[in-house]
Amino acid sequence: MTNNLRHDSSYRDPSGHVFVENNTIKRVIFPSYFPQYNKLKNSGFFEKAFQHKLLISHEELQNTETEIYIQPEQIPFITYPYEWSFQQYKEAALLTLKLQKYALQNGFSLKDATAYNVAFYKGNAIFIDTLSLDFYQENTPWRAYKQFITHFLGPLLLSKYHGAEFLKTMSNFIDGIPLKMIASLLPKSTKLNPFLYTNIHLLAKYENKHQEEDVKATKQASLSQKGLFNIIDSLYNYIKKLQLKEQSEWGNYYQKTNYSDKAFTQKSKIINNWIQQLNAKTVIDVGGNDGTFVREINSKIDLALVGDIDNNAVDQNYYAVKKNKETNMLPFVIDLLNPSASIGFQNTERFSFVKRVKEFKPDATLALALIHHLSLTGNVPFENSAAFFASFSGHLIIEFPKRNDSYATRLLNAKAEFKDQFGHYNLENFEKTYTNHFQLVDKKEIPDSERVLYLLKNKNA
Amino acid sequence: MHFLYFDAGLGAMLVQALVAIVAGVVLFSKNVMFKIKTIFGLHKNTSDQDVFDDINIDDSQIENPSKDDK
Repeated sequence: MTNNLRHDSSYRDPSGHVFVENNTIKRVIFPSYFPQYNKLKNSGFFEKAFQHKLLISHEELQNTETEIYIQPEQIPFITYPYEWSFQQYKEAALLTLKLQKYALQNGFSLKDATAYNVAFYKGNAIFIDTLSLDFYQENTPWRAYKQFITHFLGPLLLSKYHGAEFLKTMSNFIDGIPLKMIASLLPKSTKLNPFLYTNIHLLAKYENKHQEEDVKATKQASLSQKGLFNIIDSLYNYIKKLQLKEQSEWGNYYQKTNYSDKAFTQKSKIINNWIQQLNAKTVIDVGGNDGTFVREINSKIDLALVGDIDNNAVDQNYYAVKKNKETNMLPFVIDLLNPSASIGFQNTERFSFVKRVKEFKPDATLALALIHHLSLTGNVPFENSAAFFASFSGHLIIEFPKRNDSYATRLLNAKAEFKDQFGHYNLENFEKTYTNHFQLVDKKEIPDSERVLYLLKNKNA
Repeated sequence: MHFLYFDAGLGAMLVQALVAIVAGVVLFSKNVMFKIKTIFGLHKNTSDQDVFDDINIDDSQIENPSKDDK
């Protein structure tokens, strides 16, 4: 197991790294981290943290004098911070604080606190970087404090004041939003809030003032454990209550504006039959809104990825996941016209959405009430959208709103004098182009609507 | 033992002493306000909307906590 391939995102921490062997994620630990690892294991901390669902569980594969190998529980699909909704982002932040407090109570401390240490799995945020746990040393401040602010508090605050779209900028700041930027983008009034003044403005000022000095002076910085608990508790309380300015009330978000009740029922019935016919266990709904149609599926689904461009819809979906304690639904924010790119060193640290979804290979892809947005709002030709769907889906369930559908008409009218150039947006062209990549398995008109549902099978799958 | 594999920031380490003092005052005053509001029945119950629980972990929730991790 020594000649393993190190995962491209796992080079920052010298204590060990992640590698992939036979499509399984494993982790090698080096002797420099043995004391921590053994203490975490023998004190029962690992076991307790697994049971509290704070830390991803792992089993030890091999333990030699030079290397320890562990295999964490495998997470089928990773979403990144810039694909989280506001409430998901909050949960990730709160989980990090919760784990840090629990670690401190047991004599440990998180040595880093990046948003990439958290993943969503079985309906909850979970900490996935096992090697982030280090010994706590009496009277030392939290090493990862600044990281927590630039990865969590900063982005959350900026979303509160400027909208949840701000979270997407995390893809440009892989090491967190720079402190100066957070401080300068926040309204002046935040300086009057003692919590925000100290955690953001004063921190930015101190960092600026001391940036040229020798790091060794850190040894002078001291903080009692009580003080540390105060910081963590106050961060937790503040973030827990944080709400977006534009936040709408929780509740039934799905708007059936284009559907009569009959059309809605028929549509979900058709989808249900097809999903059962395919015996699909993994599903991706690429324009899934708040997950309404995935929840209407009666057969057992192992994992449903439900993406939507609207942060608010994803928040609603996430709220339903929490309330119903669903473990097989993963909501995330995605703009299909500009899906997350590969980022980081050599562009290989965080994978693009397309790469991840290709690896995930869902049994069925749902694209409901989406094609008119891609084709008319995004001007994406049928040929290109068909090729996109064909690149990762074995089966595609796609809904086509005809030209006289009220929403499609609205989008066409918005084209004003260019409306004539969108004559290609019709059922015949759609079928003709999509059947270049897919075989038409079934086709059903949704009663009481101007929409048609297609079940397509990938010709190359 | 510390691995300085990323810069924790000297300013960020020093400032925590001040952040902690302010946090202590804020927590204390919130606590007092909470008690006052509870006494006068002004405390709004928002638990219906809340999906996030408290920061504190209750170890007694664990069934058969095992002392040694296999």
